[in-house]
Amino acid sequence: MISDPDHYKQKPRRKAEYIKPPNLLKAKVGSGGLSDNILAKAQALLENNSVDFQPLAELYLNSLFSGIERTRKDLKNGETEFQIASMLYPAMQLKANGGMFHYPLVTTIADRLVQFLEVIELVDDNAIEIVLAFHTTLRAVIMGKIQGDGGTHGADLIAALDQACMRFFERYPDHKVGGQPDHSSSF
Amino acid sequence: MAYELHKISVLVVEDNQPMLDITKSLLLTFGIGHVVGAQNGEQGYDRFCEYNNDIIIADWMMKPMDGISFTRLVRNDPKSPNPYVPIILMTGFSERRRVIQARDAGVTEFLVKPFNAKDLYRRLVQVIERPRQFVRAPDFFGPDRRRKSVGKTIANYEGPFRRDADMKNPEILKMMRQQQMAAHDTLDRIRKREGLNKGDKFDLSPQDDR
Repeated sequence: MISDPDHYKQKPRRKAEYIKPPNLLKAKVGSGGLSDNILAKAQALLENNSVDFQPLAELYLNSLFSGIERTRKDLKNGETEFQIASMLYPAMQLKANGGMFHYPLVTTIADRLVQFLEVIELVDDNAIEIVLAFHTTLRAVIMGKIQGDGGTHGADLIAALDQACMRFFERYPDHKVGGQPDHSSSF
Repeated sequence: MAYELHKISVLVVEDNQPMLDITKSLLLTFGIGHVVGAQNGEQGYDRFCEYNNDIIIADWMMKPMDGISFTRLVRNDPKSPNPYVPIILMTGFSERRRVIQARDAGVTEFLVKPFNAKDLYRRLVQVIERPRQFVRAPDFFGPDRRRKSVGKTIANYEGPFRRDADMKNPEILKMMRQQQMAAHDTLDRIRKREGLNKGDKFDLSPQDDR
């Protein structure tokens, strides 16, 4: 609660200039949007793309594995943020690209891994074991060419990884970022 | 009447070739007249200086220059042909702090990968129909980070968004849910600490803000 009655009478602390540029884009394209037909065509193009995801996925999987190995070797001396980043970036790439190229299960699993890496504060052998479990699962999905959501098998894999993460945080609650999210601004 | 997208030019900056190809194909299917590709921020900036594109779509993670540094360059470099150009950042990150990081670099819109044709189209509509005003402050130049302030009048006021059913954007919905959960947690914490029941009144102390 703000108790100071003069709080709202304060002068702005920073000088900011607001600029409203002319909307040249709108002037060029006009109004009306696109027809459903065009959107359906675009979606069909996306769904029928014949890109082979495997070479790309292997690149990211290898990068993830290198990140795991580097982190494991330099566990005590390495900088935590750097260690997490070396595993987080390839995980994010797998999440981003899996669903674009017919591997939504890769996206779902990699998304869990990204979430795990975004909330851990400490990296130790136990955390690395979890990341390795994700790596092994992702590798199996990609090598097994499991396209789509993987059906019951896919759901089982996700549930097993979820449980592993939950057990990890139950056992090591201090590994998790403790701060509350920042709600001070919206995008 | 439909958008005359053939009149505009879009620059796509993406280091992943299949992703670059697919994004370019989608834009061409939408009818965009000129689509230029680049494989990293450095090359993207050269292309932008050459073509002065109407919209930029850039990936976040690229080497040697990533999408965030590229955005800063477009916004702040004296050689930039248009520092106001709308920039849509594509990324696999969707966590709130990442969105804020991108926003603070001067990104106009955020497109989470994987995306579908409609997602991409919606971002284009957003930059065409709801451009952001710009802010120039000592430590920031870029689109106004408070979208609410642009063009809000009584005539287009859509009412307070309180229920999930009011919101159609899944990202905003997710963000709202996270905020609600955080607020619940804070309240629970205070109640437990003070031994209060639901409905009991209490004063907020400064440490309760977070």
